[in-house]
Amino acid sequence: MKSSRHDFSGLFSLYLWIGVGVALLVFAAVAFALIRYRAREGRTPSKRSEANALELGAAVLITAIVGFLVFRTFSTEAKEDDESPQAVRIDVTAFQWGWRFTYPGQGVSVIGNSNRQPTFAVPGDRPVSFALTSADVIHAFWIPEERFKRSAIPGRVNRFDLEFETPGHEEGLCSEYCGLRHSAMRFDVWVLSEESYERWLAARRR
Amino acid sequence: MAGGAPPVAAPAGGRAVAPGERAVGWLASTDHKRTAAKVGVASIGFFGLSGLLALLMRAELAQPGLQLVSDNTYNELFSMHGSGMIFLFLTPAALGLGLYLVPLQVGAAEVAAPRLALGGFWLYLCGGLAMYSGFLTDSGAGKDTWTATIPLSNSTHSPGVGMDLWVIGVGLATLGTLLIALTILLTIVRLRAPGMTMLRLPVFSWTMLATTFMVLASFPVLIVAMGLLLAERHLGGVFTGATGSIAYQHLFWFYGHPVVYVMFFPFVGAVAEVVATFSRKRFFGYRALVLSLLVFTSLSMAVWGHHMFVTGAVQNQYFSLTSHLLAVPAGIEYLDLIATMIGGAILLRTPMLFALGFICQFLIGGLTGIIVASPPLDYHVNGSFFIVAHFHYTLFAGSFFGLLAGVHYWFPKATGAMLREGLGKLSFWLLAIGANLTFFPMFFLGFDGMARRVPDYAPRLGDLNLLASIGAGVIALGVLVFFANVWVSLRRRVPAGDDPWGAQTLEWATSSPPPRHNFTALPPVGSYAPLLDRREEAGASAPEGAVA
Repeated sequence: MKSSRHDFSGLFSLYLWIGVGVALLVFAAVAFALIRYRAREGRTPSKRSEANALELGAAVLITAIVGFLVFRTFSTEAKEDDESPQAVRIDVTAFQWGWRFTYPGQGVSVIGNSNRQPTFAVPGDRPVSFALTSADVIHAFWIPEERFKRSAIPGRVNRFDLEFETPGHEEGLCSEYCGLRHSAMRFDVWVLSEESYERWLAARRR
Repeated sequence: MAGGAPPVAAPAGGRAVAPGERAVGWLASTDHKRTAAKVGVASIGFFGLSGLLALLMRAELAQPGLQLVSDNTYNELFSMHGSGMIFLFLTPAALGLGLYLVPLQVGAAEVAAPRLALGGFWLYLCGGLAMYSGFLTDSGAGKDTWTATIPLSNSTHSPGVGMDLWVIGVGLATLGTLLIALTILLTIVRLRAPGMTMLRLPVFSWTMLATTFMVLASFPVLIVAMGLLLAERHLGGVFTGATGSIAYQHLFWFYGHPVVYVMFFPFVGAVAEVVATFSRKRFFGYRALVLSLLVFTSLSMAVWGHHMFVTGAVQNQYFSLTSHLLAVPAGIEYLDLIATMIGGAILLRTPMLFALGFICQFLIGGLTGIIVASPPLDYHVNGSFFIVAHFHYTLFAGSFFGLLAGVHYWFPKATGAMLREGLGKLSFWLLAIGANLTFFPMFFLGFDGMARRVPDYAPRLGDLNLLASIGAGVIALGVLVFFANVWVSLRRRVPAGDDPWGAQTLEWATSSPPPRHNFTALPPVGSYAPLLDRREEAGASAPEGAVA
């Protein structure tokens, strides 16, 4: 599974603007009814109480919109499901209340907890393949900048790819309630150029 | 019971009744109206408690950093707020409303199985007290959120009797509400007045019928899950490994999604009755609404997995498809509500204001619900304040407003006294401003990276949090004005008469409050709006003068 902020943004705008459109339509209809059909002298309420063609039309229209949204959701997910062979591998283990990031085959591991949050580095020009699990209870690995999260479940490994594009720091946090210090279970992602990334790794190799 | 006292309060002219005797009579009464009143009083009590917890949370969240409470206390606050509001307030309040009104709407003298309903109330009350009594134990109250996910809620990670009390309490309260739902279903099936076919059942009763279907299909699963969780905590070996923790989530959400519609349908029904009455028209698209309720009910049993998109352990596409499809019956319901107003003669009384608040605000919750039905979008907002905003727009800005629409509408029927219009409108505007001030900023907070269930957050999120906390204060003010309205209206009564609104359904064809056996005579039932039929036949359009 691969995620990109770009795919998320496109899909989110689509849902958002359709939602805003529907909301405005409903608000306008309510406002129209309130202004046009307020009780006043001499108004007799209509006796009409059914219009099945209208109901059917609405059902078809909504189904069509929903069908379009589902299609866009599924095609975005399919794109995210592409595997990338030359990705950097990082194993992540969540625990109460911290994170361990291990680079398999590199002899590098970073660990931190709620008192001292860990920083782990990723290259900005290659996809990163994560293998996520937990040592105790269920946590979730969330990087808001990347618009992505996954559950960390003890006894299970969840795999996904992320592409970090902009160099710099991104904040990460646990987004599944996991006990006493849940709110302090944070980490820092440091997105580096390929050379800086290699230097960072070398400095931590034993 | 014990003293052989009549369960109904003795007539005022008879011998003096000791207050204690009257209280026992009221508590032991099997009259569905009194059982419903007991459910109502208990649920208001739990609403007050759980609401206070929310105010404490918003006070802590007004600024980044920890000021008022510890991590541990904060975890109790949101766990008991969420589980209190869902298990002990909105679900019982929805079913309590049905217990009061369904027998009246179908023209029955009593609820079917009245003692079962009373038993349901006591189970619910004991369950609620068990959950809250956790605060009195050394280990504190339940603090594993309203979902009590495994393995967090096992005895290793959440030891202590407080959590046991929570598990038992949730099981009991759910069993109690299940029994109440059962009596409502039986009433609709068995006790309808002559002439009331299923397609002449009032709209509110139809929403209650659909609600009881969901309750009967999903609540037993939660009761079993709580039993298994208790066994897991004391014996172990029930939910083991990754499979066990995923299995628990399936059980929980199989209950947990239908229940959100249990806390929605009855209020759609209440709003529908209010909109029809105050538009002076019969409800538009009745048969389409009934069909959409049934479609909605069926789909509601097949969407639970969307709560588990980020686990990577469910078939996301299936649950995404079913969840998106909910927009179709929901859209038809909206169409019918608005089409009822079009062509009417709308009176903007307090119940109608709350109904309009429900329509406009629930919409925001519903539309953001479509956003979270899309897995790639849910991967970002799941577990964040965006979700908190979404479901508070459905449950608070939506369902709670629908409940208040119903309360303001039916209060004269149940008490014989009108609520004050001015105080009602004041409480509406305070609640509407407060709700939007509190919950709208949360969409942005969640999108910007604020996880839910945290007492502390990044300093850059401070301003919007402060705004939300101010909003919570405004909500509290609105709630106080509502209670003041109830107090004043009961102390200095403005008599309501049988039918103060010019309404359409059978509960308005009897006295306010109704007698012990509800009706002395029933009008003929030829449609879902029998009183409107009667007025139309009499040649008079809705009497404007009937509205005080």
